[in-house]
Amino acid sequence: MPTLGMPEMLGLSIAAGFVGAMSGMGGGVVLVPALTLMGLDIKHAIAISIVSVIATSSGSASAYVRDRITNLKVGMFLEVFTILGAVVGAAVTLACSERPLFIAFGGILLAIWLTMVFQVGKQWHPMAYQDRFSKWLELRGSYHDEAQKETIHYHGVRAYFGGPFMFCAGFIAGLLGIGAGALKVLVLDLGMHLPPKVSTTTSNLIIGVTALAGTSVYLANGFIDPGLAAPVILGVVVGAFIGTRVLVKLSNSAVRNFFLVVLLILGAEMIIRGIRG
Amino acid sequence: MSKHAIADELSPELEAFQRKIEGLVGTILLVGVLASCALLLSGMVWRFAESGSFVFDYELNKMNLFQFMIKELTLTIEGKFRARLLISLGIVTLLLTPYIRVLASMVYFAFVEKNLKYTLFTAFVLTVLSYTLFLR
Repeated sequence: MPTLGMPEMLGLSIAAGFVGAMSGMGGGVVLVPALTLMGLDIKHAIAISIVSVIATSSGSASAYVRDRITNLKVGMFLEVFTILGAVVGAAVTLACSERPLFIAFGGILLAIWLTMVFQVGKQWHPMAYQDRFSKWLELRGSYHDEAQKETIHYHGVRAYFGGPFMFCAGFIAGLLGIGAGALKVLVLDLGMHLPPKVSTTTSNLIIGVTALAGTSVYLANGFIDPGLAAPVILGVVVGAFIGTRVLVKLSNSAVRNFFLVVLLILGAEMIIRGIRG
Repeated sequence: MSKHAIADELSPELEAFQRKIEGLVGTILLVGVLASCALLLSGMVWRFAESGSFVFDYELNKMNLFQFMIKELTLTIEGKFRARLLISLGIVTLLLTPYIRVLASMVYFAFVEKNLKYTLFTAFVLTVLSYTLFLR
């Protein structure tokens, strides 16, 4: 174990949780690169990060579930796929050598950057019909939208795509120790045509269970150091708590642009490190 | 592709049940995270108080959650490393939080909604989690 002091771990984790909450990206995306820069090897960084993801996602999901925006059935159906993906992803990480992981991590960061850059703010309208499979899965619901002051009824579609894509999202989560929320939201939003708020909140719920599945693999292989995990978990939770409070006070575009830059830098840096060795 | 009209909203009783399970799930998640953090913080404070540093000198060598819990309890009974038990419990609590949430969902789907499909989906998730967490 490298000599990563407690104050550094705590500070790093708080920063990661803060950035994660502000950007909606979760702490893993910042935590793993930061830990590796401090000298921790990438597999241990991924293992600790994925444990912290359980904390942040469960914390935020609890609020959304109680606000009754999250769709439990959509979440549960898709979790079937994500957990399998996560277990496979974690296993691949353990079997893999380090440099490809750096490159993969950087690549995913850039992919997430792309999804954020090309986010078009289109209006969501309910779809006129629902395919048989999604109907059989009972993927419908309603929630009260505070901003629009109305109850929105919706139903999910194309669950037959949603499932397999979620396996991939789970794979990436388990592989890289991140929540991969941006990718999950993409599937829920564009793929399954859920309203944006339902997509983000349900994704949050799914992330927690997915992270647990990945964690179990790292745990069983001795990659989780409790002494390091403890300050990281605490730090990330505190950072996220502060981040969500601060988020409401800043303008959307300022926050967005800041994170686009952060993603780009981290993504490029990870890829370069992977190539250089 | 044939078009199907959207089904009507859920019956009022199912709505009420759904509200309850949502409340329960939300609470489980919140309590789990808070309890975990409380345990971790206490463990770290205790460790600092007893040794002046935050370094924990133990690792988890290739064991699953179940074995880990047993080991920690045995060590505590033998009277050693008390601060570390709090840390271990904190981590265990965090890991069990989503697990218990899935368990609660399964009970809900099975006995309250009596929904076979979702009971099976949830049971599948629970089985996979149980296997990777406890049995490997």
